[in-house]
Amino acid sequence: MALSLQEQTKANEEAFKKTGSLFGLERLARKESDPGTYEAVWHILSNLCNAAWATGCKVSSSPIAAEGGDALWGLHTSTGEAICISRGISAHAGLLSDMIKNFIAFGYEDNPGFKEGDIFENNDPHYGGIHSPDFDMCMPLFYDGKLIAWASCVSHVSDSGSVTPGSIGFLNPDCYSDGLPISMERVGEHDRFYPWYEMRIRSRTRTPDFVMGDARGRLAGCLTIRERLEEVIEKYGLDFFLEAGREYIEDSRRYAVGRVKTQTVPGRIRKSQFKDLAMKGKRVLLAKQDIDCAFNLPMELTINADASVSLSLQGASGTVPFGENISPTALKSGLMMGYSHIVGFDMFNSGPIAAWDIEMPPAGSWANPFEVNFEAASGVAWAPAVTWVSNLYEVFGRLFQMRGFIEEMAAGSGTIMTAEFSGINQTGMYLTGLTLEQASQGSPARGYSDGENSAWCIYTPEADFGNAEISELYYPILFLGRNVAPNSGGYGQFRGGLGHTAVWMVHNTPGLEYQCGDAGMRSKMVANHGMYGAYPVVPDRPAYGHKTNVKQLIDEQKPLIHGRGDPESPAIASLIDAELVEDNAVAPFVTPEPLQDHDIIVHPIAGAQAMGDPILRDPESVAKDLNEGWTTDRVAGDIHGVVTQKPNGAFVVDAEATEAKRSEIREARKTRAIPFQQWWAEERERIKAHENMDPAIVTMWSTCMELSPKYAEELRAFWDLPEDFVFGA
Amino acid sequence: MAEFDKADIEKLIDGVLPWPATQDMLKSSKDTDRFDKYVEIMQARVDFEDPILLPLTPMLFIVAAKGERVVKCRCGHAFGDYRVNWKLSALINVRDDEASISEVYKGREMPDPAWVQIREYICGGCGAQLEVEAVPRGCPPDFEFLPDLDTFYSEWLGRPLPDTVSFEDKTLEKIAEWSN
Repeated sequence: MALSLQEQTKANEEAFKKTGSLFGLERLARKESDPGTYEAVWHILSNLCNAAWATGCKVSSSPIAAEGGDALWGLHTSTGEAICISRGISAHAGLLSDMIKNFIAFGYEDNPGFKEGDIFENNDPHYGGIHSPDFDMCMPLFYDGKLIAWASCVSHVSDSGSVTPGSIGFLNPDCYSDGLPISMERVGEHDRFYPWYEMRIRSRTRTPDFVMGDARGRLAGCLTIRERLEEVIEKYGLDFFLEAGREYIEDSRRYAVGRVKTQTVPGRIRKSQFKDLAMKGKRVLLAKQDIDCAFNLPMELTINADASVSLSLQGASGTVPFGENISPTALKSGLMMGYSHIVGFDMFNSGPIAAWDIEMPPAGSWANPFEVNFEAASGVAWAPAVTWVSNLYEVFGRLFQMRGFIEEMAAGSGTIMTAEFSGINQTGMYLTGLTLEQASQGSPARGYSDGENSAWCIYTPEADFGNAEISELYYPILFLGRNVAPNSGGYGQFRGGLGHTAVWMVHNTPGLEYQCGDAGMRSKMVANHGMYGAYPVVPDRPAYGHKTNVKQLIDEQKPLIHGRGDPESPAIASLIDAELVEDNAVAPFVTPEPLQDHDIIVHPIAGAQAMGDPILRDPESVAKDLNEGWTTDRVAGDIHGVVTQKPNGAFVVDAEATEAKRSEIREARKTRAIPFQQWWAEERERIKAHENMDPAIVTMWSTCMELSPKYAEELRAFWDLPEDFVFGA
Repeated sequence: MAEFDKADIEKLIDGVLPWPATQDMLKSSKDTDRFDKYVEIMQARVDFEDPILLPLTPMLFIVAAKGERVVKCRCGHAFGDYRVNWKLSALINVRDDEASISEVYKGREMPDPAWVQIREYICGGCGAQLEVEAVPRGCPPDFEFLPDLDTFYSEWLGRPLPDTVSFEDKTLEKIAEWSN
């Protein structure tokens, strides 16, 4: 008698525990006996998922999926493990897998049962979703009447009916404001959505045509997987698919473990990380939100003797009354994405993460909110998580360096600040949605070169900010500029890829809200540390002008604003007159009142982290950046110690003067710096006195020490603080 | 198994290996002796004779010096037992007010010093800037990596070191000395 899916899941877990191999596969029999077919079918399955992505995105309606490709399809085993996924937002691969596993664990095989043509969905963070605009879908796939696999999909819809318009719900005060929940539901049968599913979307989301269009896109992609998989099984046989499907996952686990053992070093890695969310005095929804918040996002990772990896989030700070809390399931999915980028690529599936031992984050922290605070909001749960995951790139970059694999090194990523609009567009239609600017950041510095400009995004390999003209079709804006942002990639021997600045003019609307959103940004702090002595990336600081004289400037054919300008004399302040000018706004925020025609928005997108002492940067690279307009005289001289001349209109390096200046910098550093012990003794007194510590920082330390006693004990011991010392007392 | 020329690895380290050759390195299966080649290359570039056990960063190395495993900068400046966070033996320059932060970040690029301080860890020997931290007041310095050196050499490389030491973080022991 065939095992139920729950029984099969349990058998899989026991086999893994007993053998150390997923599904108990101590041999990869299909791979060993027919490696050519094994490899060929992998690529066929992979392409099948990509065909679903191409079809599904085209059927989708919102620009997020249709233009930006911000969606993902996957093929899973009968028990939910991902065999392979499409291109797209790979961060969700783990979520989709866990959603299927949850449907099995919750007993849905018996009630309501699984049958051909069923459509299941979840977007509820309490049951493993990440945030309500990410609609996770799955469909059981049958062959000869037997459930043999699952197709899955996630797409990021433009609005899910949360308390504020759009899909980056950082302002949501609690889960009740997070939007329409689809809580582990069957939403259709026989390949069709239930009528009440569509009715609910029509009555509870602001852009129902887009949301339903995206639902049909998800369905179309899943049906593509189903049809193509039938062809594969007809050709290669059901047994081959079932057996090889499992082997691909175990193969990927072995690859990741092998790579850890041959390319890293056992030991303990620690990397701190922090993030701000400064909302005091801004437009918020509830009185309790008139506060500033800070997050502690610590990562402790241990590479064990057997090359398995243990991970701890001890020290994570408490939940916040905003939509920036994430379930452990969703956090694990983000981790799986980062790890697969860094270590387990090629066959991207559930395999690599199987060799991880992830300690449950402290209950009541931003990373595990619901046990203590069931009402915690998750409108943009990704925000702290992605900042935390960005550590993983640097951590493994350091490990690869130790073994000499310089070509694999990367620094950490930058930040993610979004732009979202809502209002009536130029066709008279109400519209809310996300621009795609943030999906094209600078890439991290590598061990041997600078990162790439505007060519990378941590959460998706589809690093594409889309065509400006398409954005102009959807939203009532015109692009006045899309420029490389100088000095946005940190300062180091190798700099991060540079970000860009979008300059928009509001056009042809009775009113437009600009939500400068937090999907992992920092505005009070610098982004990330440096790596190996580099300086971190600058904070995210957007700008806008309301009730401007831009129409007059156009009528008089005078210069308009096309870029950001100098950090100390912003272009928006010098080129434009306006009743309200915010030239250095602390993000995130929603504009206090709707913007109107000819208002201006200057929205920067971050570069990524640099690597190495800035005075080790090749002087010729500094001169090249100067000539491109990618850095400035001050940074070239003061930070990189490079002296240039400009004899024929272009910067050239004065090698002798550069060498002398760099020697001066080295000596000046030694003169200015003090022994650590001296600083430690002085600093502990300043800590005790909470000297120049923002209340948000004090609260952050207070919560993280309360939630993680062991972390608190070590922190007190390091600063030689009394055993009963607490911040804010 | 791929084998890469030592000279190419040197070029890679210096950032001058042509992109096609770099891509080849990225795409090929890895050379099994890369660690030994890398250590040889770095050994020739440092200003000390003590054998390198592990390149901790491109500038800092765990070395075997007179029977002790200590951290040394490329210039030879020593930072003590590798199980104590080397930052405790470094010079430090902390930017925690607007005046000092504005030497690096200007205008809208400035972070808020009540939220974050910029800590620069400087080698007392050569003045190299070894690490930079951007953390709020109260954060202990990151002890980025405490290697399990004996497991690495004995179980992963298959050639145990002549002596063994415990795999433990001894940073707080040093702090305790300062406190007394």
